[in-house]
Amino acid sequence: MLFNTIDFAIFMPIVFLLYWFVFKKNIKVQNLFLLFVSYFFYACWDWRFLGLIFLSSLVDYLVGLSLAKTEQKLKRKVLLVMSLVANLGVLGFFKYYNFFLESFQDVFLLFGRSLESSSLNILLPVGISFYTFQTLSYTIDVYRKRMEPTNNILSFFAFVSFFPQLVAGPIERASNLLPQFERKRLFDYAKSIDGLRLILLGLFKKMVIADNCAIAVNEIFTHHAEYNGSTLFFGAFFFAFQIYGDFSGYSDIAIGSARLLGFDLMQNFNSPYLSRNLGEFWRRWHISLSTWFRDYVYIPLGGNQVSKAKWIRNIFVVFLLSGFWHGANWTFIIWGFIHALFFLPLIFQKPHKNNKDIADKGKLLPSVKTIFQIGSTFLIVLVAWVFFRADNVSHAFMYLGSMFSKSLFSFPTVSRGLVLFLIVYMVFEWLQRDKKHILEIDFIKSKPLRIGVYYCLVFIIFYFAGDTQPFIYFQF
Amino acid sequence: MKKLLTHICLFLIPIFVVWTLAEVFYRTVPNNYTFKHEQISNFNDDAEVLILGDSHTFYGINPEWLSLNAYNLSNVSQTIYFDKLLIEKHINHLPKLKHLILSVEYTTLSQADNTQEDIWRKYFYSAQMDLEVPLISWYNPKKYSLALARKLNKTWHTYKDFKKEGTLIGCDVKGWGNTYLSTLDTSEMEYLAKVVAKKHEDSSMDFRLNTERIQSIIDLCKERDIEVLLVNMPVSQNYLNYLNPEKLQKIQATCEAIIKNNPNVRGLNFLRNSYFKLNDFQDADHLNAQGAKKCTLLIDEFLR
Repeated sequence: MLFNTIDFAIFMPIVFLLYWFVFKKNIKVQNLFLLFVSYFFYACWDWRFLGLIFLSSLVDYLVGLSLAKTEQKLKRKVLLVMSLVANLGVLGFFKYYNFFLESFQDVFLLFGRSLESSSLNILLPVGISFYTFQTLSYTIDVYRKRMEPTNNILSFFAFVSFFPQLVAGPIERASNLLPQFERKRLFDYAKSIDGLRLILLGLFKKMVIADNCAIAVNEIFTHHAEYNGSTLFFGAFFFAFQIYGDFSGYSDIAIGSARLLGFDLMQNFNSPYLSRNLGEFWRRWHISLSTWFRDYVYIPLGGNQVSKAKWIRNIFVVFLLSGFWHGANWTFIIWGFIHALFFLPLIFQKPHKNNKDIADKGKLLPSVKTIFQIGSTFLIVLVAWVFFRADNVSHAFMYLGSMFSKSLFSFPTVSRGLVLFLIVYMVFEWLQRDKKHILEIDFIKSKPLRIGVYYCLVFIIFYFAGDTQPFIYFQF
Repeated sequence: MKKLLTHICLFLIPIFVVWTLAEVFYRTVPNNYTFKHEQISNFNDDAEVLILGDSHTFYGINPEWLSLNAYNLSNVSQTIYFDKLLIEKHINHLPKLKHLILSVEYTTLSQADNTQEDIWRKYFYSAQMDLEVPLISWYNPKKYSLALARKLNKTWHTYKDFKKEGTLIGCDVKGWGNTYLSTLDTSEMEYLAKVVAKKHEDSSMDFRLNTERIQSIIDLCKERDIEVLLVNMPVSQNYLNYLNPEKLQKIQATCEAIIKNNPNVRGLNFLRNSYFKLNDFQDADHLNAQGAKKCTLLIDEFLR
C-alpha cells in the first residue's frame, strides 16, 4: 500500500477513527490494534515476509529480556552477538547474498579460475533495512544500559512494525518511540493539524516533485549517450530532486500519519540542499540513518576523539557502510566513498566549521558566500547522485564522462518549466529555513489565506502529479 | 476531535464536489468505450468480420470498404490483453463471424500489463464495456469511480475536448476512428517518427505472455471455425527506421510461426509495403482516411 494511493487515503481515516473512537480507552487494545493494522499494511506488500518481522521482533524482545536478567559481561556480549547475527544474518542473506557471490566470482575470474555456484533469485523484503536497524537500536541500547528493556511484548512488537515508518523510516530509536507505546496517547488538535499539513506536503513532494522529475530522469539516464553534457547535468539535477522529493515526501507522510495517531517521530530531512558543507548536509539528509551510524558505529569507533588518521578511518567506515546499507551494488559504495572523500577537508579546517546555525539568519537573501557554499556542496552531492542512480559503475563513469565534456556548455534539452518550478520550490525552502517544514505557515495570521495555501497545494497535487512511480527507498 | 473532524469535512467539500462533477462527466458523456459497447450489440447478428487491435487498426481499417459485414472493435492503446477479453465476451453473440482481424504491431507482443497507457484504461473497459478485468481487484476504489482512475489534468483536457468538439466519440457507427483526415508535413513527420519510435521501445524481447494470449484467441476461433488474420499495419518508413531491426525480425518470426502452426490463421504484412505513400499517413505510424481506404481494400481483396 503506497502512501500516495487511494488505498491509503481510505486505510488511514479508518485507522484514525477506530483508533481514537473505538480503542481509545484501553492502551493495550490500542497497541494491539496498531500491531494488527501494521501487519495488515505490510501484508498488502507481501504477506510472506511478515514472518521475518515477527522473527526479528521476537529475537530482540527475548534478547532484551535476557539482557535484563544478567550482569555477566560475557553472557551479555553473547546475547548481543546473537541478536546481531540473527538480524544482520537475515538482512545479509536477502540483500547481499548475490552481491557477495558475484563479487567472489569476479575475483576468482581475475585469477583465471571460475567459482561454480549460481546466484539465487531472492526477493528483497520491503523495508528490511529499516526495521532491522530500528530493532537493533533497541538491543544495543539495552546492552549499553542506555534504556531499560521492555517486558511488554505488545508494545515492542507494535514499535518494530509501526506502519507509518515500517517500510522506509524514519529509523526510530527505541529510546524515543518505544516509551510512546507504553504511555497513553492523548489527542492533540494542533499536533493533528500539523500531521495533516505534513501529509499534504509529503504528497506534494512525492507526486509533484519526485514523480515529474522521474520521467525526465528515466529518459536521460536510460538514453544518456544521446544527450549533451548540459542535459546530462540536468538529468543529475532532476535526480537530486527526485530522490529528495521521493524520500523526504515519504518521511513527511510517515511523520504526519504518526502524529495523527499521537506519536512523535524524529525529523528525517531538513532542507538538505541548503547545506553549506557536507557535514551540514549529513545533519539534514536522512537524519535518522546518519545519526544511527553516528551513535552505533562512528562513536564506538572513537568518533573524532582519536588521532587524525583514525578519525579519517572512522569517517570512511561510516560512509562506506552507509553506501552499502543502501544496496548491494558497487555504485552505492562509490557514492559513500565520494561523500567520505569530500568530507575530509572539513577535518582539516581550523576552526572546525559545524554550520549548526541557520544560514544568514534574519536575512531575506543569501550572501554571496552562502550561495557559493550551498552551490559547491550541491554540486558534490549531485555528482555523487550519478553513482547512486546509475545501473552500474561503468554506466556512472560514462554518464559523468559525457556530462563533463565540452557540451556541458551547450544548450540543454530539458523542460524549462520543471527547472523553474524546482528553483521556485527551493526559494520557498530558503524562506522557511528556520521552520521545521515548509508548510509551517502559522505566521500567516489570516485563516482563509492559510486555507488558500492548502487548497493551492491540493490543486497542484491533483493537476500536476506525474505518473505514479514506486518510492525509491523501498528497494533498500 | 470534533473540531478536527468538522474542519476536515469542510475542507474536503470542494474536493468532493469536483470529484462528483468529474464522475458525472465520465458516466454521462458517451465516449469510444460506451459507443463501441452499444454499437457492437447492433452488429452482433450480422457481423462477419471483427477487427481488434490498437490505434493502428482503429484508424487504419474502415469496415465501410469491406465487402463483408464488419465491425471495428479496436481502440487506442488496446492491448492483446483486452483484445482477448473482448473476443471472449462477444464471440458467443456473433453467430455469423467468419474472420477475425488481429493486428500485431511493434509493441503488441512485448507489451507488459498495467503500463502507463492502460493503467487507467482498464477501468473504462470494466465500467463502460462491461468486461471482467482480472487486473482489477474488487476492493480497488477506482473500479467504482472513473474520476479516480484519471488524473485531474487529463480529465480537464478531456472536458475541454468535449466542449470543443461537442463529443468524445472519435469513431463512426462501424467503429472506425474517423478523426484522422490530414497529413503532417515531412519535417514534423520525421521528428514525430523518432519520438514515437522511442516511446514504443520497451526494450523487451519477451513475447511469451502475449503470444500465449494470441494463441488462446486463435484456439477460441478454431472451435467456431473462424479464420484469424494477423495483420502488420502500415507505418511510415521514417518510423520504421527508428525501430530495433532485431525485434522487428523476431516479431515477424513469431507471426510466421503462429501462422505455420495454426491452419485457421493467415497473415498480411504491410510493414514494408511501398504501396502506401507519405500522404496516406496522418502521422508517423497511423494511416489517415485515405490510407485506411487503401489498406482496407487490400484486406478485402485478401479475404475474398
